[in-house]
Order: sequence, then C-alpha cells, then structure tokens
Amino acid sequence: MRLSTRKLLDRSFSSLGIISILLMVVTLLVILVPIFTRGSGAFVFRGTIEHRRLLLERFQRGDERKFEAEMDAVRQARQPVYDMIRSFEARQQLQLDALLAPLNTLAERDDSIGRLVKRRLKRISADEPFLENVEEIGKLAGRLKEHDDAASIQSEIQTLENGVKQIESRTEALVELNEALHELLGPAPGGPRPVLPRKQYGQTRWDRAQVKLHQLLYVEDWDYGGEGMGKKVYVPRVDQFRGTEIEPLFGYVEAHAEDLLRPRLTFYWGFLTDKPLDIHLFGGIWPELVGTIYLTLGAILFAVPIGIIAAIYFTEYTKPGKIVSFLRTCVSTLAGVPSIVFGMFGLAFFLNFCHIPKGVLAGSLTLALLILPTIIRSAEEAIRAVPQTYREAALSLGAGRWHTIVTVILPAALPGILTGTVISMGRAAGETAPIIFTAAASVAAVLSLNPMAAWSDPTAALSWNIYNLCTEHEAVDEIRHVQFGMTAVLIGVVLLLNLTAIVMRARVSKKLKG
Amino acid sequence: MAALNKTNLLYMPSERLILSSRANLVQNILSWLGRAFLFLVTSVAAASVLFIIFYIARDAIPFFRLRGFTEFFTSTRWYPSGEPPAFGVLAIMLGSGLVTLGAIVVAVPLGVAAAMCLSDVLPFSLRQSVKPVIEILAAIPSVAYGFFALVVFAPILQQHDGRILAVAWYVLAVPFLFLTVVVLSDLLTSKIGRDSSRNTARAFALLAFSGGALALLLYVGKTLRGLEITTGTNALNVSIILGIMALPTIVSVSEDALQAVGRELREGSYALGATRAETMIKTIMPAASGGIFAAVLLGIMRALGETMVVWMASGNAAQIPQPWFNYLEPVRTLTATIAGDMGEADHVTGSARYHVLFAMGLMLLLFCFFSNLASEWIVSRQRKKLAGED
Repeated sequence: MRLSTRKLLDRSFSSLGIISILLMVVTLLVILVPIFTRGSGAFVFRGTIEHRRLLLERFQRGDERKFEAEMDAVRQARQPVYDMIRSFEARQQLQLDALLAPLNTLAERDDSIGRLVKRRLKRISADEPFLENVEEIGKLAGRLKEHDDAASIQSEIQTLENGVKQIESRTEALVELNEALHELLGPAPGGPRPVLPRKQYGQTRWDRAQVKLHQLLYVEDWDYGGEGMGKKVYVPRVDQFRGTEIEPLFGYVEAHAEDLLRPRLTFYWGFLTDKPLDIHLFGGIWPELVGTIYLTLGAILFAVPIGIIAAIYFTEYTKPGKIVSFLRTCVSTLAGVPSIVFGMFGLAFFLNFCHIPKGVLAGSLTLALLILPTIIRSAEEAIRAVPQTYREAALSLGAGRWHTIVTVILPAALPGILTGTVISMGRAAGETAPIIFTAAASVAAVLSLNPMAAWSDPTAALSWNIYNLCTEHEAVDEIRHVQFGMTAVLIGVVLLLNLTAIVMRARVSKKLKG
Repeated sequence: MAALNKTNLLYMPSERLILSSRANLVQNILSWLGRAFLFLVTSVAAASVLFIIFYIARDAIPFFRLRGFTEFFTSTRWYPSGEPPAFGVLAIMLGSGLVTLGAIVVAVPLGVAAAMCLSDVLPFSLRQSVKPVIEILAAIPSVAYGFFALVVFAPILQQHDGRILAVAWYVLAVPFLFLTVVVLSDLLTSKIGRDSSRNTARAFALLAFSGGALALLLYVGKTLRGLEITTGTNALNVSIILGIMALPTIVSVSEDALQAVGRELREGSYALGATRAETMIKTIMPAASGGIFAAVLLGIMRALGETMVVWMASGNAAQIPQPWFNYLEPVRTLTATIAGDMGEADHVTGSARYHVLFAMGLMLLLFCFFSNLASEWIVSRQRKKLAGED
C-alpha cells in the first residue's frame, strides 16, 4: 500500500474515533435538550386566568382580591360571547314556533290528518327539551308523508321538513360550538357546577389555549377529492353560522382571546409540591416525588449495610479460594440479571411467598437487590484504595482487626463508599421494571410521611408514571407538559446525584494522592 | 483533674495487654462469631442470584408441565387470553433477537471506535472530560430513553419517512465508500512493478470503482427514499435507542480491555513503522479481542434485558416482520410481554397465562446468567494471558 493511502487510513481511523465520541456527545444533547426545554414548560409558562382560578380554589394560593378584580374584567369581556349565543338560542326558539303555526292549521282539519296532527301536537310543549320538540316535529312530518292524502298537503310537509332540517343542523353546530367554548373558557356562567375538575376550568396554559382556540375557530374535516388517502382540511366554523347572531362571535373571540384568558408569564413551582388533579390534567407531581424518594431511600437502607459488610468480608477477611471466587461470581452475575426479572422475583418471592403487600417495602427490597452488586463493588474498591500503611499503623498501635476496620479503614473509605451509594441511588430512583409488579400504582394517595404507616401502601413513582402518562393516559396530548416536566425532574434528580458522585470522586482521588 | 484520671485509665494499666485464658477464649469466640456473621451476610447477598433463579424457575416449570415445550418454542401464535389460548413465543423471541441485533449493529462499531479513541488517540485531559458524558449516558433512566423514543423520536421517524433514512445512508456511506474505493484501487495495483504504468492503472481503477460506488450510493439512497414508515414505534426506533443505551457499557469495558494490553506491544508495533491505525487494528485489537467480545456480550445483555424502551416504543405487535429483517415494522419482545401481561395475569396465579411469563423470564435470566459467566471467564483468561506475556 502506498504511504499516502496508509496516512489517509490512519487519519480516517483517528477521525472515526473522534466522530464517534462527538456523536455520543451530540446524542446526549439531542436527548437532554428537548426533554429539559419542554420539561421547563411545566414550571415556566404563560398561565391564564383559569390557572390562577385553579390555584386559588384548589390550593388556596394567590391574592383573592386582585384575582376577583381581574376575573370581573374577564367576565365582562366574555359576556358578549354568551350574549350572542343566548340571542341565537332565542331565534332558534322563534323558528320552532314558526313551524308550529302551519301545524296548528292542519290540526283544525276534520279528517284523519287533522286527528293525527292533533294527537302528536300534544306531545310538544315548552316544558320538553328544545331538541326533542324538534325531533317530534320531524317524526310527524315523516308520518304525514306516508299518509294516503299526502299529496294534498305537499307544501306544508316541505316547509316542515326544511324547517326541521335547518333547526337541527344549526342546533348540532351550536352544541359543538358550546363544547369548544367550554373547553377554552370553562363552564358558561349561570349553569350548574360540573362534577369533574377538567370540566370546571378552561385552559390553564396559553399554549394549550391556542390549540383549543384553533379548534373553536375551525372544524377539522377530511377531503377525499384527491387521489389516495383523504387530506385533512380545516373549515372555518363561522361558515355554519353565516347570517346569524353568532357570526361575529368568531371574530370577537379571535381578536379578544387575550382579554378572555389574560395569559401572563407564570412560575409554577407548585408543579413539584402540588397534588395532581383529575389524573394529572392539572396540578403537580407531589405523590410521584414522595414515592420515588421513599423507594430510593428504602432501597439504600437495605442495600448499603449488607453491601458494606460483604465488601469488608471480601477485602479484609478472605484469601483467594474456591468459595470466595464462587461468591464473587454470584455477585457479578447478580449485576447482569435483567431488571424485569428482579420485578418478577419480587412478585414471586416477596409478594406471593412472603406475603408482603404490594407497596413501598416490597418495592424497596426488590430495588435493594438490584443495586446490591454496585454497592458491593464500589465499597470494595473504596476499601482497597485505603493505603496499606493505614492498616499497618493501626495494627502496630495494638488495635485488633475489627477495631482497625471500624475506626480506621471505614472512615478512610467512607467518601468512596458514599460515592457508590449516591450512584446507586440514582439507579434506584430511575428504575421502573422492578417496581411495576411490586410497588407501583398509577393513581395513589400521597404517602404518609411516617414510614411505619406508609410501608405497605402502593405508591406512584416518577419513573412508573412517566410510562403511564405517555402511554395509558386518556388524554395523552393534553398533558405533554406534565410528561416532559416529570421526565425532566427524574433526569434532573438522577443527574444531580451522579454529578455529586463525580465531584466526590474527584475530591477523594485528590486526597488519596495527597 | 478528672480529665487526667481518664487518660490514666486508658493508657496506664499495662497488665490489660496480657489476657487471662478465659478472656482470650471469649475474645476468640467473639472474633469467630463476627467472622461467621460476616460470612453469613455475604453469602446471603451472593446467593440471592441463586435464589432468583430458583424462584423464577419454580413458577416457570408449571407452564411446561401444563403445555409442554413444542408450542412455546415453535409456534408464533401468541393469544394468551384467547379461547382456546395460544402460547407460541417464537415471534416474541425473534422480536427480542431482532432489536438486540439492531442495537449491537448500532452500538458496537461506534462503541469500539470510541473506546480506541479514548485509550489511544485523545490526550489525557480530554479523556477525563469525555468520561462524564459516558457516565451520564449510562445514568439516564431507561424510562426516560423510552419516553424520548416514543414522544420525540417516533414522530420524527414517521413524519420524514424514507427521507431521514436516505440522509443517514448518505452521511454514513459517502466517507466509507470513498475510503473503500481508494484502498481497493491501491491494493489491486500495488503488484505492478513500473511506477508510470502503476499510476495509470490506479487512475483507471479509481475511476471504475468510484463509478460503481456512486451507482450503489444513489441506488440504495433512492430505494431508502421511497420507503414509507407507517409507524414510528418500530424495531428501527428501538434498536437505535437500545444501541445508545448499550454504548456506555461497550465503551468502558472495551476501553479497559484495550488499556490492559499495555505499552510494550504498542511500542513494538510503532518501532516497526506501523501507523497508529495499523497498530490498533493489527496488534492491539487481536490482543484485546477477548475483552472486546466480553464488552459486546455485556452490550447484548443490556439490550436484551431492557424493558421500558421496548415496551413503550416497539409497537408491541407479536408478529414476525415480513421479511424478517424489515426493521420498519413493529415487534414485541420478551421483556415487554412480561411487563405488559403480568398486570392481567397475576390475578390468575396458577394459570398457564401466569406461568408462561415466568418461562419467558427464566429464558432471559438463563441467557444473561451464562453470558455473564462467559464474559467473566473471557476477561479473566485474557488478564492471565496478558500477565503471562508480560
């Protein structure tokens, strides 16, 4: 091979390595940047008046007088919208009454048609719901059409059918419009208070409000005119209400959207400490946070003492032999067991065999098993890193072996052991598979802060609820900000723990170097 | 005064250093008991893996007793709640294999190249600042990777269809094909003796090969462009994400293996006039091959045992893609099946539906157990070998 080709290959070899490392860095950024930028949207966003109403009513936070003043202005801004709808409804009623006039004349006829109409008219009254009256008239028109004498009242039937059709389509459109308005602004004034929190409030976030505003202004439709699959098109909703009282509503809402909702830059730190409302449509992630902390600390509580004892045994009390190497192999194979198998073991052993209830204790024990190998390994490394001279000095002062370990070696190895512990905490906080069967519940009350009361309760946890909210939630698209926020919090916690460990390790290695 | 007394009490009585025979016995027994306690705790910790195997197997065996082996290993019909139920796991096993293979294809070249770069190319200070990146990649929880795959990556795949594949192909293939063309034409013409005729021959070979390479490049690019990705939650998506997750393991284990080879081999190779690339590929790689194989094995275990990513982003369709290497179709894996079905199956403890999941778990466990043993054995053998050579 020519020298230049060899040089070329050498250079491309080096650049391949550098590119793959750069690629790793880029991958890390590509994953973390969208999660953190969109995740910060759970904390910092343009909150609407509905958000402030929610905080005040549900969490008793905010200035009530200021809010009332603002809310009054908002109510005034919203009033024209509801006025338009009311006058439209009144006109619908007038149209229905107009249909009744020809029917009343028909009822006065002295033949079977007259009797039929008279009988049917009794079912129509102002007490009945508007739409049922309309439907009744439609049915009557159908009956009249089948009548033997239908030819004689052709024009009346025609008027009835057209009238009913028009009223029905308009009312249907109105119902859809009302729903869209409800989703955007919350319940209309004067009505009964809805049961579900999601129906009690309009859009709390301006970004979601804009999506809902678009849904209010445009109707989604499919255009099958072209080749192949239909194309999604948006038809202005105003087309359904041309020439009615509602026509100006759309222009008004579009122009005054900010007055209707009053978006304002909001820092919502309550996302961490508020309870969720209506399966995370509103509120924060407090139960998940508490659950994760409980499970992590529980796992550490069980795994660290056992891990340190095993590490002491391996480093200070054994000589290489068959039993020890067997034990070591066992520990390292434990590290290779897939996390879902830990979950199955937890289910089969802790739950089904030991009859520990599904909850914090069972989950912590399972997680403890998972992080045990990491803790043993790091503790071993930390103990090995303590200089031999320390041991010799302690022994020469007359300390026994156990005494040396407890008073000299463990304190010296403590920072290293802590580093491993902190890393394992990050691992335990992020694991999902082991807790699916042993501890996790999608919706659970916040754990009591007293561990004696909390150990047997199933709990929500950050990791499990991230899965749950982005796959099994009924309104996945509505709560993207919660999903991103939760993921950002989980990654933030894990990274914080790992950074602590990295800094600690750097300081330890500096100290040991002297 | 009191303080003085205390110090005297601690240091004065020299006769305390000589123990009575009874005290000696007590101390011996105590020390023996302490040792026994340490040994006991350690063995419990270590034996827990055997415990795990025992308890998984205890719930797995009833399935084979109920339904036998044939259906489990040879049928692709997976209808655990059907009437009658069908428990064919072949398609699911192939799904696991498929995404693991994909992950390895993504992770091994990248990981080994990065490890070589870390151990031999980068200066020490830069290496220290790259290490945290790898650690953070390893630390990100799997559910966060799964979330990224499902919410960010899958829509991107779905929106850009074949275009994104074509772009990836061009980016990867252009430099690779360029190098191949140059090296091939060089190798083919290196036997020609006379300088001038060799140069002309090489020019012709270059032309011919680059024509072929260009045709290949464009043809594959066009084919990829035409592909349609009907769903973003497919085997390709999961393979890439699993590859990223397996990277840290592969990088750190193979870097250790490369470092373990030692300076002497490197210096000898450089002294003979080899370039860095030649030294790495012809000398260091063969010496470290065991360790790199162990790294790949650990990477496979990581990808195979991963649950959340595949559960969230693989599409969970228990079918064999048509053709089998069609990574654009959704698949279902063992881990995702266990995680997804246990919720319904554990109400019917004792049924085949419950035990079949444990049978799957047992397979996973045994595979990981033996690969772990194998990788341990390989690493220790290599260490011994290298120590012997030194």
